Amino acid sequence: MPFGQMSVRQLQEGLAAKEFSCHEVARSVLDAIERADEGVHAFLEVTADAALAAADALDERVAQGTFVQVGALAGVPVGYKDNMNLAGTHTTCSSNMLESYISPYTATCVAKTLSAGAMPVGKLNMDEFAFGSSTETSAFGPTFNPWDVTRVPGGSSGGSAAAVAAGMLPVTLGSDTGGSIRQPASFCGVVGVKPTYGVVSRYGIVAFGSSLDQVGPFARTVEDAALAMNAIAGHDPLDCTSQPCTVDFTANLDEGVSGMRIGVIPAFLEAEGLSAEVKAKMEEVAQKLEAAGAELHEIELPNAKAAISAYYVLGPCEAFSNLARFDSVRYGYSDPGHQDLGSQYEASRAKGFGPEARRRIMLGSYLLSAGVYDQYYYPAQQVRTLITEDYTKAFQEVDCLLAPTAPRTAFKFGEIAEPTEMYLSDMFTISINIAGNGGMSMPVGLGADTGLPVGAQLISPAFADQNMLRVAAELERIYGAAPVAPDFRAGE
Amino acid sequence: MQTLEEVLRRYEAVIGLEVHTELTTLETKMFCGCKLEFGAEPNTHTCPVCLGLPGALPVPNKAAIESIVLAGLATNCDIEKHSMFYRKNYMYPDMAKNFQTTQGPVAFCMRGHLDLEVGGAAAKERYGIQDAAAGDAFENVTVTDDGYRAHIGITRIHMEEDAGKMVHIGGEEGRIAGATHSLVDYNRAGTPLIELVTEPDLRTPEEARLFMQKLRQIYLTLGISDCSMEEGSLRCDGNVSLRRRGSTELGTKTELKNINSFKSLHDGLLYEIRRQAQVLDEGGTIYQETRHWDPSAKRTIVMRVKETADDYRLFPEPDLAPYDLTDEFIQRVRAKLPELPDQKAERFQKEFGLSAYDAQHLVEHRATAAFFEACMAFASEEGADAAKLAKPVANLIINDVTAWLNANPDAALDGSALTPARAVELVGLVDAGTISSKQGKEVFAAVLEEDADPRAIVEARGMEQVSDAGAIEAVVDAVLAENPDKVEQYKGGKTGLIGFFVGQCMKQMAGKGNPQLINQLLEEKLS
Repeated sequence: MPFGQMSVRQLQEGLAAKEFSCHEVARSVLDAIERADEGVHAFLEVTADAALAAADALDERVAQGTFVQVGALAGVPVGYKDNMNLAGTHTTCSSNMLESYISPYTATCVAKTLSAGAMPVGKLNMDEFAFGSSTETSAFGPTFNPWDVTRVPGGSSGGSAAAVAAGMLPVTLGSDTGGSIRQPASFCGVVGVKPTYGVVSRYGIVAFGSSLDQVGPFARTVEDAALAMNAIAGHDPLDCTSQPCTVDFTANLDEGVSGMRIGVIPAFLEAEGLSAEVKAKMEEVAQKLEAAGAELHEIELPNAKAAISAYYVLGPCEAFSNLARFDSVRYGYSDPGHQDLGSQYEASRAKGFGPEARRRIMLGSYLLSAGVYDQYYYPAQQVRTLITEDYTKAFQEVDCLLAPTAPRTAFKFGEIAEPTEMYLSDMFTISINIAGNGGMSMPVGLGADTGLPVGAQLISPAFADQNMLRVAAELERIYGAAPVAPDFRAGE
Repeated sequence: MQTLEEVLRRYEAVIGLEVHTELTTLETKMFCGCKLEFGAEPNTHTCPVCLGLPGALPVPNKAAIESIVLAGLATNCDIEKHSMFYRKNYMYPDMAKNFQTTQGPVAFCMRGHLDLEVGGAAAKERYGIQDAAAGDAFENVTVTDDGYRAHIGITRIHMEEDAGKMVHIGGEEGRIAGATHSLVDYNRAGTPLIELVTEPDLRTPEEARLFMQKLRQIYLTLGISDCSMEEGSLRCDGNVSLRRRGSTELGTKTELKNINSFKSLHDGLLYEIRRQAQVLDEGGTIYQETRHWDPSAKRTIVMRVKETADDYRLFPEPDLAPYDLTDEFIQRVRAKLPELPDQKAERFQKEFGLSAYDAQHLVEHRATAAFFEACMAFASEEGADAAKLAKPVANLIINDVTAWLNANPDAALDGSALTPARAVELVGLVDAGTISSKQGKEVFAAVLEEDADPRAIVEARGMEQVSDAGAIEAVVDAVLAENPDKVEQYKGGKTGLIGFFVGQCMKQMAGKGNPQLINQLLEEKLS
């Protein structure tokens, strides 16, 4: 089996037994990426030298017999969404604005994977500055869904999801501001975890919506995702919104769901735009969890319907301010030939940012302006409080919530042209970012109509992310681990 | 233009100050671990955070929060336990993130005040003070024996970060106009800055100057900044508007910038008040604008006209959690408050019987206050009567020492040849009549110049004053005997001759005779 298609455990057992070396793993994975990525375009940059250097250092540890002490991701090739800084490599955010930007420093989550033994193989495609749900807004071309290359992989972390679905890597990292890990995980049929806000440091992740952004892993097994969580979670002195975390996310994966209280949200299943096949899958998943011993409860989240509206106020406001630093003065795209600062700012930003980025910057700039602020930003914050209270109340009754991740399976390129229609892709995921809870997408087989992967979303109480992982492990026992997309499976 | 006095008879000047202070005594910047250092090589104290690199996040400097709480407590502010940082969005290359992290409607410190003692000539600027008697109160003023006490409200003190420093190349005097390009030094970017905003309670340029001097003394006493107006760690903008006497409506204000000394603040406001009066008298309009004080041309010039209010799109900084200060924290900071200048002055009056005037002057500088205390401590250790020495020691410091410090800006009292022991000895020599007060000044200069004890100087120069009544009487008798004609004339009414007799006695005593005793004996014998 190609190394990229192995699980973390399979890799580590083979490495520990010296069946193969880290160098062989890295070399082989790099070769496989070169072959497979032509049709997927998950990667924006392959960091072969860094991966091989890490591999050789790890092989030293194998030789010394200290490999098992390295960490949760020892010997695992890992890819990173291209909004994560890795010193000496590009951080483009899939934008012309940062096409030539090379970072002088490393994001905490990336550094944590490296110190846990990961081999950094490259930077992955995304929607420009994470604005989008299809990876179509990347300035460097879209990523193709490995299950059907005429379809989008979802977004914004489309490259991270596709690289795992195509069996190029066992683990990647993405970021999720309104569904950017969970929705592409659902579209590509892999596990995608958005931890509770504060579990993973945001230091070194190019910010989109600072109060909403959270980093998390993609993997094909729940255990691999949990191991990656073990590597990246915890307080970071460089991010004062990060929290201490001492949870071992693999600890309760085998416990089953017997006695667990799981909430279903009838309003979500009745939502306009939810496809029949996804709805049917959700009903099936609920039944199977009940059969496995879970107690089902019906939960109301009366304010969740306002989540998209609140999100498209808060997100653009924060993005407007976060993206102000891309001004062509110190780094990034600078339009040549201007005699004064104002015209240089205007031309550089007009040409450096794509249409969706410009749309959100202008929206945020308007929403925060004098006289408008009180009509939008302030009420949106109030909605945020109400939604958070809804979830707090819900989790007094249940240990985990079940919901669709996305209203439908992967759509075709160009199928959704209207921005506001695209925004509805995240209708079931956004309220979780607004409230800050943990959420993940778990593959639960293929849709009856499209034959494409469907994801079930599991939602945890804040800082109890282990709850959703425990339920996910049960779903994995029922539906099997996420398969590599058919066209990329070894030997087929 | 009319004089200030003429203008203030008809107009009331309404002045408010915005005072920015860099917390230079901290080790590191506001939101990152970069070192604070003035004058380092450009861009050597920078990191992803203060350069605003993509993905970097701020972490607040706890020591800076302690400093601003100290500043708030020392200026009678309410400390807000719950406050937030905000983003103030505007684009300029000196602000790498293109937003400044500052505070919103609620700052760490709100609703404070300082009382100003305005005396002497400075008090005369205030309109209405001439007609008032001590104890009277009007507006925000209580009239005192020497002048008045003014109550100046402080709206708030908030925490923010400083911008980088721009250097414009190719223009005149480093101005941006005509420059070919600009350089940015981000060493200063992210320096913790506290901004104090006063209520529009100031009415004269002198009040504004005194407020700034007092605030500077407080900050220096707290040790939160080096408060150098020259190096820009203490910066002040003055807002000033005029209104007709009797009117309660505020006039249009102008904002005065480029104030790098107390004198500039005073002179700039003075000019601006007179300029505005002239414009108004001629039927003109005052525009809301920022004006630059040009100290060499002694006038203000327009920098920028504000047609509309700036829209900074202020919103809560999502990367920083709201700040909750605990009672324990505030108590802990309160316990660190040193004795403030006003408290010290009050204690000097009580403990040593000094006048309010002397006490205020002593505490104007930390060094002089500390020196006075060291002198008093030395005197009591030596068993001397500290209370008796207090007034002459205070005089020595207020007059001679201050004059010396003013004449030698680089000199420091601490570590100079004038130790507290020598100061007490010098004052003792004058007090005991060993030397005259005029000789005292000579000895004072000699102490500093020769690094020697006053007594040794007096001995080496043979300056001991003869105060032995017997010895003086012998000289007096001899002089009178030698000049019988002059004695006759004196007795005949030419009393001005007393100077002649004193001079003769002094001459015989080689200038060492105690002039008071000589006078006294002459008068006795001539009567």
